[in-house]
Amino acid sequence: IIVYMSNYYRNSFFVHYLEFCWDFVCDILVVLQDIRNTVGNIPMEWYKDFPHIGYNLDGKKIYKPIRNKDELDEFLDKMEDPNYWRTVHDKQTGSDIVLSDEQVELVKRLQRGQFGDVNFNEYQPQVEFFSEDLMIHPVTNRPADKRSFIPSLIEKEKVSKLVHAIKMGWIKPRRTEDASRGSYYDLWANEDSSILANHKMHLPAPKIPLPGHQESYNPPPEYLFTDEERALWEQQDVSDRKLPFVPRKFSSLRQVPSFPRFLHERFERCLDLYLCPRQRKMRVNVNPDDLIPKLPKPKDLQPFPTTQSLVYRGHSGLVRSISVSPSGQWLASGSDDGSVRFWEVCSSRCMRTVQVGGAVKSIAWNPNPLVSLLAVAQDSVVLILSPSLADRQVLLSTEQLLSDQWEAESAEEDGPVKWINLEGEELSQGIRIKIQHPKAVHQVTWHAKGDYLASVMPDHSSHLQVFIHQVSRRRSQNPFRKSKGLVQCVSFHPVRPYFFVGTQRSVRIYNLVKQEMTKKLQANSKWISSMAVHPGGDHVICGSYDCRLSWFDLDLSTKPYKMLRHHKKAVRGVAYHRLYPLFASASDDGSVIVCHGTVYSDLLQNPLIVPVKVLRGHVITHDLGVLDVTFHPTQPWIFSSGADGTIRLFT
Amino acid sequence: MSQLQARFFTENKRYVVDDVPFSIPAASEVLELSNVINKLLEAKNASHSKVEFDFLVRGQFLRTSLATHMETEGISTEDVVEIEYVERITAPEAEECMMHDDWISAVDADAEWILTGSYDKTARIWSVEGKAVITVAGHTEVVKDVAWVKRDGLTSLLLTASLDQTLLLWEWNSEQNKVKARHCCRGHTASVDAVATDPTGSRFCSGSWDKMLKIWSAVPTDEADEVGEPADRPRKKQKTQQLGLTRTPLMTLSGHNEAVSSVLWTDSEEVCSASWDHTIRIWDIETGGMKTTLTGSKVFNCISYSPLCRRLASGSTDRHIRLWDPRTKDGSLVQLSLTSHTGWVTAVKWAPSHEYQLVSGSLDNLVKLWDTRSCKAPLYDLAAHEDKVFCVDWTESGLMLSGGADNKLYTYRCSAGPTDAGA
Repeated sequence: IIVYMSNYYRNSFFVHYLEFCWDFVCDILVVLQDIRNTVGNIPMEWYKDFPHIGYNLDGKKIYKPIRNKDELDEFLDKMEDPNYWRTVHDKQTGSDIVLSDEQVELVKRLQRGQFGDVNFNEYQPQVEFFSEDLMIHPVTNRPADKRSFIPSLIEKEKVSKLVHAIKMGWIKPRRTEDASRGSYYDLWANEDSSILANHKMHLPAPKIPLPGHQESYNPPPEYLFTDEERALWEQQDVSDRKLPFVPRKFSSLRQVPSFPRFLHERFERCLDLYLCPRQRKMRVNVNPDDLIPKLPKPKDLQPFPTTQSLVYRGHSGLVRSISVSPSGQWLASGSDDGSVRFWEVCSSRCMRTVQVGGAVKSIAWNPNPLVSLLAVAQDSVVLILSPSLADRQVLLSTEQLLSDQWEAESAEEDGPVKWINLEGEELSQGIRIKIQHPKAVHQVTWHAKGDYLASVMPDHSSHLQVFIHQVSRRRSQNPFRKSKGLVQCVSFHPVRPYFFVGTQRSVRIYNLVKQEMTKKLQANSKWISSMAVHPGGDHVICGSYDCRLSWFDLDLSTKPYKMLRHHKKAVRGVAYHRLYPLFASASDDGSVIVCHGTVYSDLLQNPLIVPVKVLRGHVITHDLGVLDVTFHPTQPWIFSSGADGTIRLFT
Repeated sequence: MSQLQARFFTENKRYVVDDVPFSIPAASEVLELSNVINKLLEAKNASHSKVEFDFLVRGQFLRTSLATHMETEGISTEDVVEIEYVERITAPEAEECMMHDDWISAVDADAEWILTGSYDKTARIWSVEGKAVITVAGHTEVVKDVAWVKRDGLTSLLLTASLDQTLLLWEWNSEQNKVKARHCCRGHTASVDAVATDPTGSRFCSGSWDKMLKIWSAVPTDEADEVGEPADRPRKKQKTQQLGLTRTPLMTLSGHNEAVSSVLWTDSEEVCSASWDHTIRIWDIETGGMKTTLTGSKVFNCISYSPLCRRLASGSTDRHIRLWDPRTKDGSLVQLSLTSHTGWVTAVKWAPSHEYQLVSGSLDNLVKLWDTRSCKAPLYDLAAHEDKVFCVDWTESGLMLSGGADNKLYTYRCSAGPTDAGA
């Protein structure tokens, strides 16, 4: 069988399979051959202590052959017997068998993995039985089944059912396309669908919010309207209502009526989706810190005052105003205790005290270095002091200025302002001239040349609010015919014939030569308290009682270029440094804030404003902190005077 | 690392120990090291009494433990450390207190007499023991600076500079105790803030708020210099106002942009001036030109020059004392910053007999004694004053003086004095 089969199945799988079968068959053949012993394939050493070796088919013991061969005999056999190599010990019988030549050949062939039969040709041509070729003769000779040639009964039943259904009209033939109904033009037929698919601007409609407790048929009681809420809801316009319906409560879901506005709402939603402009907002991830302009570090902007160096003590009342002499050697201060004091800047020594007999509101040192004069506003009087601290030459020119032009005086007698020459004790104190005003004077300021002096008398009703005095000719004039609001402070332009008038809300700039208003700056604050003009003349800072400091760039706009809101309380005084790019503001919160403000000569470049230092030191007294602030003319130092009666120098 | 190899040496012959390396604990501080030296000295000399020492490692005073000091200074701990020791200066004690009527603006002292200028428009002469000798009155304004010119025998010459734009050269006879104004030096157009006499005593230099330096002759003569007076002023009236004969400057040095705050002579032909324009300028008197400009960042209040170490010390409004080398032309001009004051440094003075020590006064009411070898902190704070300190001085005899706005002039003495030869 094996040989037969192996003839026909020569692919590798079958070869392996057949080899296995061959071994099995051989075993069977061996068993069949060895009919004399019936013990089977057991370890024969089990019988090694017995005289027999098994049992034959009759059940008789098979006795072991008498073996008298010892090792020596074995050796001699090995050496001498020419058939020793083909002698095999049969365990089953215990006898030695000498293999025949055929048997040896078979063993060798099997060992080589060849077929046992010498005559078997492994490589004979294979016959393809099952091929695509049509053969005349069938492969098998089996006769055909009967059912292969008689009609199927089941199919017959199925067909008869269909035929019956068609007859009965239950199945209709497929309807043909009716051309009469007209065809539609496919608008997008020519369009590439991939464009639509990849459309990046696809915007899904926003989702309708899910219903909440209010929409519930059985809402919690807090969602139900009270009578007031219902009344309010009914009063409100439809578009103003928060809810488009009134929450209602039902005992069971069964009792909920149909929603009458359902279709209406759906329609509105569709309308919304249709009408709403939809566009994609490009969301850019911007770090908010990047949007803030890069400000230099305060450390890089030195020098500026950082520490308190000297305290000038001596005043017993609050010090309203301070002023530094143009040389920077002397500091003058006016206080509510009725005195004007002169201090040596570098040692905080009070060199001179002049009693003026009333609270000093404002004080201003003549900016001309060739004269030594001080204007003091005290009640309704402006005093011109000559402190006699200066050089003889300067004193001499001061004398000349004061003694000039006596003849002009008589003409001015009938004006609202009187010039009085002082004598006696007041003269010995250094008070030279008294300018009597009709009302209390709040501020005095000098023109840069030192000849003109402006004084301010705030009064709503009168047009006599500002006077400009000329010291050399002893003349006074009122530049304005009409009152344009309560004047707070005035200032001269440092180089050009302009005059700044700070009223409650705005700063007006007048051209004194053309006698017209050139500009009006809107401060955006409630009440301006103080004003300072940049030494270049193109920038103005205003402090206000609502804690703000506004910087105006006159070339840029009439609106503040920058508003600084660093103070906690009203700003009382502002100042620019004459040489360094510094400005400062003093406030009722007891602090002075020093800011760096570089002004570029390039018109296109905006000023660089960096707050650099908060200076504290003054004690807040009666809710008043720092009242005035001024810079040293040459050094980056700042003086501040406070309600605690001290003046402090920060360097 | 717990032990270090150290070799001790000193220049003071009294306290020499054997020149062998010792193994000392690395964590030891000044006190332990001082005990070690004392032990060694006792072993050598039984009669040795205990002395406090200070220790210098590579020219820097030891203030922390030895290990941390060497770590911060970057000294290798593998080698033998050379440690110099000097006798510790004990804290200077305030000796005398001289009450003035007003703030003291300036002080100048020599071995015998102390000259002070005051805000009450006078100058005063005191003995070193604190006895008021005479009041020199004549100025119409505050006296800003004073200086001794010359002492020969019983007559002395002294200078006072004042806010009234003049300097007065006085002759003082100590036997008769009489003072006489010899010359009134006119020429400045603002307050004269500084005056300094040259080493020979024949000239003096003044610095003023009017940005000028002026050189004057200090030799008294009997003739007044001619002054171009304004014609319209009555000459007679002015004569009566004036004390002494008018003197005009030999030379005017202009170059500063701000007030001159301090002047000094570094040698007989060189003047150094400090100004509010943030510069120190060195002038050649022979040519009348400027030699060097040292630029700082803050207003200079005072300068002092030590011929021993050839360095300038400056006190400025930013609380630092800076040491300059006036001879270098480039590179970092500031050699050292001494920072401990909390107010403006108003006065600074080198020790005349010590290379490393200086004294400074400040608006924070403190006088500080410094050693440049210990730049982190001063040696001692002298907190005698109750108000701003305006002036300090240090005499050849080792007496320190300070005066200020509390109207008191204090004198201090270092007890270590001459025994501390230093390095």
